[in-house]
Parts: sequence; structure tokens; C-alpha cells
Amino acid sequence: MTDAVATRDALRIVGQPVVRHDARDKVVAATAYAADWALPGMLHAAVLRSPYPSARIVRLETKRATAMAGVAVVLTAKDVPRNTLATDVPGQTTAVGPLRATLHVLAEDRVRHQGEPVALVAAETLELARDAVEAIEVEYEVTPGVFTPEAALAPGAPPVHGTGNLLAQWRIARGDVAKALAGANVVVEGEYTTQLVDAAYLEPESGVAWIDSDGVITIRLSTQVIEHFRDVAEVLQVPQNRVRVIGTYLGGGFGGKEDVTVEAYLGLLTLKTGRPVKMVWTRQESLLSRAKRHPYRLRYRTGANAHGEIVAQQIELLADAGAYAYLSALVLLYSTVTAAGPYRVPAVEVDARVAYTNNPPTSAMRGFGAMQTVFAYESQLDRVARALGMDPVAVRRVNALRRGDTLPVGQVIETHVAIPELCERAWAALGPPTAARAPHIKVGRGLACNFQPYGRIVWLHDWASAWVGFEMDGSLVIRCGCPDVGGGQASSLCQIAAEVLGVTLTRISVHVSDSALTPLAGTTTASRQLYMSGNAVLKTARELRAGLLGVAAAMLGGDADDLDMDEDRVVTRDGRTLAIAGLLAECARVGVPRSHLGVYHAPAGEPVDLATGSGKVFPDYTFGAHAAEVEVDTETGLVRVLGYAAAHDVGRAINPQSVEGQIQGGAVQGLGYGLMEEVVVENGINLTTSFATYLIPTAADVPDVRAVVVESGEGLGPFNARGIGEPPIGPPAAAIANAIEAATGARITRLPITAERVARALGLLD
Amino acid sequence: MIARLVLNGRPREVEVRPNQTLLELLRDTLGIFDVKEGCDEGVCGVCTVLLDGRPVSSCLVLAAGLRGRAVVTLRGLERNGGLHPLQEAFVRHGAVQCGFCTPGMLLTTLAFLEREPRPDREAIRAALEGNLCRCTGYTKIVDAVEAYVRGELGHD
Amino acid sequence: MHPFEYAAPETLDQALGLLGEHGDEAKVLAGGQSLIPILHYRLARPRVVIDINGLLLGDIVVENGRLGVGALVRYHQLEESDVIARRCPVLGEAARLIGNVRVRTLGTVGGSLVHADPAAELPAVMTALDARLAVASPSGRRTVAAREFFTGPLTTMLTADEIVTGVEMDAVSSYGWAVEELSRRAGDFAVVAVVALVSLDRRGRVDDARVAFGGVADRPVWARAVEDALRGREPTADVLAHAAQTARDALEPPSDAFVSGAYRRHVAGVLCRRALARAVARALGRT
Repeated sequence: MTDAVATRDALRIVGQPVVRHDARDKVVAATAYAADWALPGMLHAAVLRSPYPSARIVRLETKRATAMAGVAVVLTAKDVPRNTLATDVPGQTTAVGPLRATLHVLAEDRVRHQGEPVALVAAETLELARDAVEAIEVEYEVTPGVFTPEAALAPGAPPVHGTGNLLAQWRIARGDVAKALAGANVVVEGEYTTQLVDAAYLEPESGVAWIDSDGVITIRLSTQVIEHFRDVAEVLQVPQNRVRVIGTYLGGGFGGKEDVTVEAYLGLLTLKTGRPVKMVWTRQESLLSRAKRHPYRLRYRTGANAHGEIVAQQIELLADAGAYAYLSALVLLYSTVTAAGPYRVPAVEVDARVAYTNNPPTSAMRGFGAMQTVFAYESQLDRVARALGMDPVAVRRVNALRRGDTLPVGQVIETHVAIPELCERAWAALGPPTAARAPHIKVGRGLACNFQPYGRIVWLHDWASAWVGFEMDGSLVIRCGCPDVGGGQASSLCQIAAEVLGVTLTRISVHVSDSALTPLAGTTTASRQLYMSGNAVLKTARELRAGLLGVAAAMLGGDADDLDMDEDRVVTRDGRTLAIAGLLAECARVGVPRSHLGVYHAPAGEPVDLATGSGKVFPDYTFGAHAAEVEVDTETGLVRVLGYAAAHDVGRAINPQSVEGQIQGGAVQGLGYGLMEEVVVENGINLTTSFATYLIPTAADVPDVRAVVVESGEGLGPFNARGIGEPPIGPPAAAIANAIEAATGARITRLPITAERVARALGLLD
Repeated sequence: MIARLVLNGRPREVEVRPNQTLLELLRDTLGIFDVKEGCDEGVCGVCTVLLDGRPVSSCLVLAAGLRGRAVVTLRGLERNGGLHPLQEAFVRHGAVQCGFCTPGMLLTTLAFLEREPRPDREAIRAALEGNLCRCTGYTKIVDAVEAYVRGELGHD
Repeated sequence: MHPFEYAAPETLDQALGLLGEHGDEAKVLAGGQSLIPILHYRLARPRVVIDINGLLLGDIVVENGRLGVGALVRYHQLEESDVIARRCPVLGEAARLIGNVRVRTLGTVGGSLVHADPAAELPAVMTALDARLAVASPSGRRTVAAREFFTGPLTTMLTADEIVTGVEMDAVSSYGWAVEELSRRAGDFAVVAVVALVSLDRRGRVDDARVAFGGVADRPVWARAVEDALRGREPTADVLAHAAQTARDALEPPSDAFVSGAYRRHVAGVLCRRALARAVARALGRT
């Protein structure tokens, strides 16, 4: 880590808590979000959705709606050139084989979940569009559905699709689990349940589409993935280079804007009408129909020796995919790989399954399958420690992975694992214990660690590209297809380029997230954007710098290696300077490019054989430890979080303020998951389709989160950064559960940890 | 029908539909996009405006019923083209991530500080309880408000 | 929102005339904090919305020891009014617990009572206070006891052509008071709310006690048994706990998707005891 510190000292802009350019725009509301867009002659769109979770469409009649004054078009499945959205799931699952996740753009003969889109309307006003939706006549024949994965996998269960309801299964086996458990000093068994939750970004799914003057179907929307322009082209059956997606600055994404949302509908409607069309989902629609986080049932048997070292974990996971596959198979893979936690466990068996049901579909959400497992493995570890009389930090210190260790899946950990330090620092950051303020109040503390992959699965051969170029006046332009979800993605790219090219930050313009005009950089998902686009900009800027300094060396005499770029100048070792504008003029004269397009390829690998545990799945991981202090009202079960500290090794903080923001925001989302959030579904009907019933934390529900930023100087991102987008959401639920047990002796195994569940665990309702 | 209001200091008369909300009047009719739409039921706070100095959900106010009252949106805070010091505090303290809650947060904070100029962190949290933020976890928002309050008192 | 006609009467008589004309095809708009979401979701499709905000129903007055609160008094006025703080502070404490700050800017006393959410604060407070609602219709005026006004979830005795114009109650300056509630989230609707008012005689015994619950039935519940259990007794911890237990045992709260009836019942007992204890402490401070 000494080298890392030395490197940091040499940095000028990277590592500084610089003000993000987008923050200035946002405080004056200059940022034009997807819905803040209007074009002359624009139509407004609305979606007809299924009220039933499982039904046959017997009759679908649009005549009355179509005939209404002001209605431009009504579309159903038969009007869609290719009515399928498809994602290949790479790699082969254990039991089901190669997967292709498909869904219909609009329902054909069946609906499989409440809220499934059945028809589209575009009309002169939004009110008219909604009136027309009501005027569409649909006759449904309700069919039997399945509403839990257990029921879905039972013999004779009604199939959600043509095949069986098992969507995917992954298995890992390493070491002799039965023998290790038999020889363990302590064996802890636990069953945990996690709930369905929603990304609940404040900006609903929204966008505007138009056919541009060159005939290109252009869709400006809130998305984490501009590459869906290809999916839209497939649906419309037009060449892929005739669809352009412009991604706006997002009002939050958290994985919920990773799959296709409004873009296919907008593409269809603008193509059919020839007019600009706007679609903004209501909050109700968003909560009803957007893919959510998978609920899991997790069964664990954990064996440890007398020193508290885990000797074996036997793990069974069962997840609910809802009605369509989306990214479920991959979410489950993340769970499988992370199921034993960031610990050395010599013997591990994981059997993970995900099933189709007629519940709301589930897919990506911040944490992506590496989250549900934290609640289980960290609860288990705490119970082991309790059984052996060990303290929470000590049990994690003895078990923590170290560089060179092999995960159950067969992947060798190649970077520093800071778990012991993170535990100590998070625990210490809570400060002196709080005294209980009344006799019926108990106070306790809990700790939880996690590890979260960053970057895509290695056999996806991930890459990102960026364009960096100087204008003649010495100002700099960055073009990169990276969507900015609010985490400071674009701003970090500026810092990286400024560092390499010595340009003042205010002289940089960054253009992101346009499939036609910015080089593609992949999705803002999987905690990969700083890692991938950051590396792309770093590589591109370095290559550009090398070319420019070659010219500068000829101008100044001497070797290019002896030159630096700083404060918009080239500087020699002996203190001479050359203004950047002068260098650029010379480049123009001698024909050396002032811009450069670069591509960064992530380390790639072949699909692993999980059964034999033979290889690499993810590029690397980010490790964390969170500590919570809670008070429990032992008369009502109400839990209040008094103090919270979250420590992560981020490798290198490009912008420490943004890093802290990611950690604090992720931790509070995790607290929402732990304490209150739940999409309540009864027989496939969602009972939480408003923000009055789907509750996310307010400022008054959570304490300050102390972010502890640890920089090991080891990571695969630019300047050795690690991804930090997803990791902080993982530990809170487990930290809270562990703190509650410390306070009261009651163990909560079901999320969210509502006051009633605590009251029941305390025996108050017996 | 005609809605009458004083918008950011300027008297306005605007043709509206009876079922049009203040939010729709601002965004759809007047193109004032500094007011956001988030839930249409007054819970999330992104459509907050000040009505006679008090925060309201513009999605829950009928435009037709404004009766000449004063409406302030974020752009009403502008000071000679520069940032309001509270906006500056939000920028400097990293209180803005996706930014979708920011206009409502700023307006709610200012209305609150009018009535309670020296709040502690707990009071700030209680005052902002009706404005949801899904990105920041609130810590840096409270930091920014606290810094602004200190600055006003000459300690910053 | 479905299209509707908008009417803004300037007098009560005009408003009543419109109501008489349109009856149940009309909706009365006061603060709008419950009505507008219902219209947004198209759960109600009135032909006419009668906006009564132009009516002079926004006064807080004290007359002959009785406190009168106009139907258009906003929640924030209850929080901030000196008269309320002196004469009936329980209203201020309850108002601070309602919704979020934006709801408190516009939401009205009359609106809350007519909306009749079984978990809402003001219906429970009015039930505890034994308040009387002033009701007007084209055919006349009547008063209705709060304890009879609420007839079920979101339903009241009000007929389609009636408007609540105000509510009148005893000024309870000498009473100690407390509102206790438990909610799923800060500022959210109460899972259970308890309102307690206690006055003590010169010997420190309970002279009068008034208790009501929200969130435990299809309407606010007046806990008469608590009052009987306390009157004339010294309010020791045991006595209060016993009274709260009595109240709790009489409740049979319903379950919903979020909270079981058993848990509501349990919490009602705990919060009732705490509310009584706080009210007694305040009453001691006042004597």
C-alpha cells in the first residue's frame, strides 16, 4: 500500500473532492430530464395493462378507442413488426441449459402478470390517451396462476410458459461438506427470507421519440443502457443504424432502467404516426409493472471449528423470477458465487434455483443477487460467533479471504482484501456506545461485511470506448457512451482526463450517452462504469497525450518523457512552458491528430464449469463492512437506527465526495430494504402501487451515515479504483439484524424487519 | 377558464382546464420544468412549490383555484443571475446526485428556515421528512443545510 | 383526472345551492390533499368539483368556554395558533403528526373529518374531545357529535348535499394531553394512534379522562372504559396500566396487508398507557 500512497501524492485532480459540473446544473434545474422535453406536434402515449396476473385474452377490440377524436393510433401485438424482446444469457446453467430470455412487447394470447402491457395509445393529450386506454375492450379468461416459487416447482403446477417453471439452476460443490459439518464444533442452521422490492427512483420511466430530419428514429429517454437501440430496431424491423438512443441524465436508475422500459413503445408509436411521442409512466405504473428485486428463500448450514473458522457451508437458494426471465439467470449466478461470503470456506455446496411465477417480474437492481445472500451469510456468521463467545470483529478477522485464496466457484482473489481493517474501522466509527434512554429501550450494535463484483462477467468480453479531443483554444471535449445515473459518472471522466492532460476542469465539456454520437461504452450497471469508461478515457487520454508530447518535444527540444502537462500548458523539467494552444496550432501544422478514439478491453475469460469450480467469473470484487447501532423498543418492537458507519475499500477514490455519496446513499437504500420496503403481492396482485404504500426511507427515518473510505491502491479501474456503485447496499439489513440480536437476543430472519416482526420475535404477541 | 397567480413575482393569467393541476399548468402550459413530477399524490416532494411562502405539492393543487396567490418555483430563487447561497451549499457539500429531488428540497428548506432559522440536524431532518431522496441517503443534504445556516450566522 | 366542471362559490349559500343541484355528482374541494389523488387515479369521477376555499370558514374562535374551529382551518394553523396552544393544545400536537409539511399547508380540519380515514389523527382527537360538527345543507343546519359522525372507513353520516362548516368543542385548558402513535415510517399514516386527555382534581385524582384510538377499527374508537376506570382514582403507574389494558382488551382491530390485528391491539395497549402517563404528567404540571 506504500506505492499507492506515493501514487496518490503525485495526483493533482484525481483524488480531489471537486465540484461536479452536473451539480451546478441540477441546483438551478437546468438539467433537462427525459420528461422535461417537448416537441411541436408531440403526441402523448399511454399503456393498457393487464389487471390479472394470469389470464387468456379472449377478445381485444380497439375500434372504439381508435375512433375517438384526438386519438392518433392504438396498437396491439399484431401491429408490432417483431413482437419479441430477447436477451441471450451467456454461459450454461446447471440444469436448464442455454437460455434466451424473451418477452413480448405487447401481450398476445396470454398475460402472465398484473400490469403486463396489452395495448398502446398515442393521442393529442395525455388525458385523451388515458380515456382511449379505458375505451379499449378486453375480455380476459382468468387462468390458474402460481404465486410462490415453491408452488411453481411443485408437481402439476400450471406452467407460466410452455416449459416447466424452473428458469435456471446453478450448483457449486467444493470440498466434502458432509464430513466437514460432521467434524465441526458448532453447526448453525438458518432459513432466511428476503422480500420483493422496487428501485423506486424518483424519476419515473420516461422519454420522447421522434423521427429526425435524416429519418433516424430518435428516442431520448431515461436509461442505463443506450445499447437497447438495437433491441428497438429488432422490434421495429429496421436496420440497427436507423435507431438512435439519446440517454438523458437520469433521475435515478439503481438497475430498474437497465432493461427496456419505454423505448420500444416510443419507437413503435413514432414510427406508426410519424409524429413525436412522449411517454411518462405514472408512479402507479412504475410500481406495478417495472421489474424488481428478486425475493429469496435462503437455507444455510454453517459449521465452524473452536477458533470460529468456518469449515463448511451448505446453501440452498430459491428465488422468484416473476413472470418473465429478464436477467434472472445472471442474478442467480451472482448469488451463487457470493453465497459463502467474503470468507475462506474449504467446503461449500450451493444449490440455487429460480422459478417462474405469476408475480411481478424481477431483474436487475443495485446489488444484483449479491445482496440477498449477505443477509443470510452475515446472520449465520454472527450466530457462529455468538455460539462461540467471539466478538463480531474477531470472527470476521479469522475468516476473511486473503489475496491468493480461492472462492468456492474456483476464482482466485487477485487483489487485496481489506475486510479486517474495514471491520475495525467501521466498528470504531460508531464511537462511544449510546445509553438506553428508557427502561423499555435496549441498545445494541451489529456488524456485517460483504463483497460485490464490479465489472461484467469475464466471458462477456466487456469493452468500453471513448473519444477525447482538444479544440483549437485548448478546451477539451470528451465523448463517451456512458449513461450518467446521478452517481457522478460523467464528472469522474472529466477528472481522469484532466489528470492526464493537465486541463483545467472548467475547460472540459463531456458528452455522454448518445448511441449515434458518442463511442459506445456499455451499460451503467454492474458497478462497471468508472471501471470501464474510466479506463477507456484514461487509456485514450494517455494515448492522445503521447502524440501531443511528441510534437511538444520537437518544439521544446529534449525527450517527450521529460515533459508534463499541467494547468493547460506543457511543462519541462527545467521549468520552461508551452501554452496548450501553441502546441495545438503546431499539431495542426504538422498533421498530428488533436483527438483520439480509444477502446479499453476488460480482462476476459472462458465460461467456468461451476461443478468443478475451475475459473474466473468476475474481474474483481469490492469489499465492505458496515456497523450499526440500534435501539429497540421492547414494548412495541420498533427499531430506530441510532448510528451507522459504512467502510469500503474503493482502491482509489477518484472523487472522495462522490464516493462518500455512493456509500451513504447505498447504505440508506439498504436500510430501507432492511427496515421497511416491501412490494406486497397477494395472489399476484400488487398492493403497493403508490408511494403512500411502498415506503422508502425519509430523512427522519435514518441517521447520518459515516462513510469510511479506505484506499488500498488496488483495483482494476483507473488509478486502481474499484467499483462502488452497488457494494454499499449489501450489508445494512444484516447489520441491523445483528444489532437487534445484540440488543435483545431476538434473531430476525425475515425482511423487512418491521416492528411487528420484532414484536413477535420478542414474544410480545404470544 | 382563467387561472390567476403571481408566478415568481410576476402576475399571470393563464387559460386552464378545470381539471388541470398547478403542476400541469407549470410544466405543460408554461414549460417551467424546474418543477418535477414524481408520484401525483403529494408523497414524494419533487413537485414542491411555495404557495404564499409555504410548501405545497403542486400536483395536489387545482390551477383554477389559485385566486391570485403567489407561487414560487426554483427559478424564483435566482439572485442577479447567480446561485442562491443554499444552492451553493448543496453544490459544495455534494448534496446533489441525480438531482431530481433537488428543486423540492431547496424550496422546502428555505420555507422551513424562514420559520426556524437555527435548526439542529435533527430538526433539519424532521423538516425534510416529506421530500424523498433515493440517492444521497440525506447525510450530505443535511450537511449542506447546516453549512448554509452556519454561513448565515457568520461562522462559515 | 377525468374532466369535470369547476365551481368556486363565494358564499355558503351559493355552495349549498350547487350541492343541492348536483348532489352526489359533485365533490367538495377543501384542502384537496385526499381528493386530488383520488381524482388523479380516477377513483372518483365527479361531474362538478365545488371549491369551497373562497368561503369564510377559516376562523378559530373561543366563545363561552367553547372552542370553534372553522372547516377551512389548515393543519399548520392548528400547529401555530396561540389560541389552540392555550385552549386545546392536543390539537396542535395531533396536527404536527399529520402527513408531511405540504399536507399541513393545505389540509383542512373539515377535510380530514369528512374524509374519515380510520387511522387519521383529527377524527380520533375530535372523538376524544366529544366535539360537535356543524353541518349545513340547502334545507338547514344541524350539529352532529363526532362520536356518531364516523360510520365506517371513509364514510360518515354526511348526506350528499351537506357540508361540514366547522367543529366545536370544550376548551380543555386544564387538561393534560398526549397523542401517541406508531407508524411504518416517519410522517406516514398511523398504524395505531392514541389521544389522551386527563384532568386532575385538587387531591391529584383523576377528575376527567378522555381517550380515543385511531387505526384500530373501521372508524375512530372512543375508549369509554378507560375513562370509567380512571375517574376518581389516583393515577399511579399501575392504575394507568390497568386502564390501558382494559381499553386494549375491548379492541378487535382488523388485519391488513401490512399489519396484523393482533399487533395493532398490542400496540394500542402500550401506546394508551404511555399517552395516559404523559397526559397525567402534563396535568400535574398544569395544576
